[in-house]
Amino acid sequence: MSSQVFSGTNLSNVFDKLNDLKNLFKFGERIVPIIQSLIEFMKEIVPLLENINSSISDSTTKMPQATNQINNVTKSTELATTEILDLVDKITNVLYQSEEKLNKLSSDSTKRKELLGKIKELSGANTEISALVDQIIPLDQDEDLATNLIEQINTMKEDTYQITLSLQVQDITAQQLAAVNHLINSVHTKLATLVSDIDQSQLKGDFNGMDIQVPEGVTFDPKASYTKDGEKQKAADQIYADSKQQASQADIDKLFS
Amino acid sequence: MKKTILVADDSPTIRKFVAVALNIQGFAVVAAGDGMEAVEKLPQQKIDLVITDLNMPNLDGFELIKIIRETPEYKDIPIIILSSLSGSAEIERGMKCGANSYLVKPFDPKRIQYEVAKYLN
Repeated sequence: MSSQVFSGTNLSNVFDKLNDLKNLFKFGERIVPIIQSLIEFMKEIVPLLENINSSISDSTTKMPQATNQINNVTKSTELATTEILDLVDKITNVLYQSEEKLNKLSSDSTKRKELLGKIKELSGANTEISALVDQIIPLDQDEDLATNLIEQINTMKEDTYQITLSLQVQDITAQQLAAVNHLINSVHTKLATLVSDIDQSQLKGDFNGMDIQVPEGVTFDPKASYTKDGEKQKAADQIYADSKQQASQADIDKLFS
Repeated sequence: MKKTILVADDSPTIRKFVAVALNIQGFAVVAAGDGMEAVEKLPQQKIDLVITDLNMPNLDGFELIKIIRETPEYKDIPIIILSSLSGSAEIERGMKCGANSYLVKPFDPKRIQYEVAKYLN
């Protein structure tokens, strides 16, 4: 029986197993440093992951504050723009009224000169009257003065048009900010879900009442841009030109000349 | 009697811009914050022209134009689109809906005065 146990074949198997075990130890000797490195790596990466998690939750909780600030900026610029526009409106009205009065002044001056001319004609041989009229006519500078002032008023009217055009940057930036808010809202929702999935009950609690307050019914064009070169308008006009008669710049200038 | 223009835009500043540009030309301006409000204001007084944005809450500009064009008493009112959307798809859609003109924001006040005068004077 015992001679069977220690037969040559069995011993050979035992030596094979011992050999395998020796190889395993040799492999173990090689793998141990790698495992040690892995453990070291894990020691370093775990705080880093915790830090990332903390940063994500911190950023997520700050997002509603950021959107609120953006909304406040939009409201403030809207209010300021409206106030400036009210002033532009007042100035424009004054300019139009002044232009009317100056036109009247100019027309009255022309009439006065015509009347003086008639007086001179009627004075006949009375050289004294004729001389007086000749002295009065050059003194009446109202027509020239009115013409100069009307020119200045037209320049100021042009400036108010430019102010009105430039102020529209508020509407464009409001749309751009609304687009940013929309993006922040999307990121906030996804991050909040991610942090909740990590299952940190304290963080979950932090998100309660942290909903982003996006103004109701806000619409925006994410591609809105502030350009005054008129290229977009030309493109729109080109599309309409096929079926409708379009306004040429000359027509517009004619209307306002 | 002053001609009345209905301006539908969700931006209060744009409504103000249009009012400033048109009041000085002797037009009365009625403002609406969206398409739905514009539809509600249409029967309240005689509207001679409509200026509308496209992106608006509740009822957008395309839908507003469609309603106006499908309503017998309003179908002939000239409509000007005033939008920051400047893609050919939106412009063509606006034209097909029945808008008479298309102005891109930011708009030249003189151009809007010209367009309104073209239909009303």
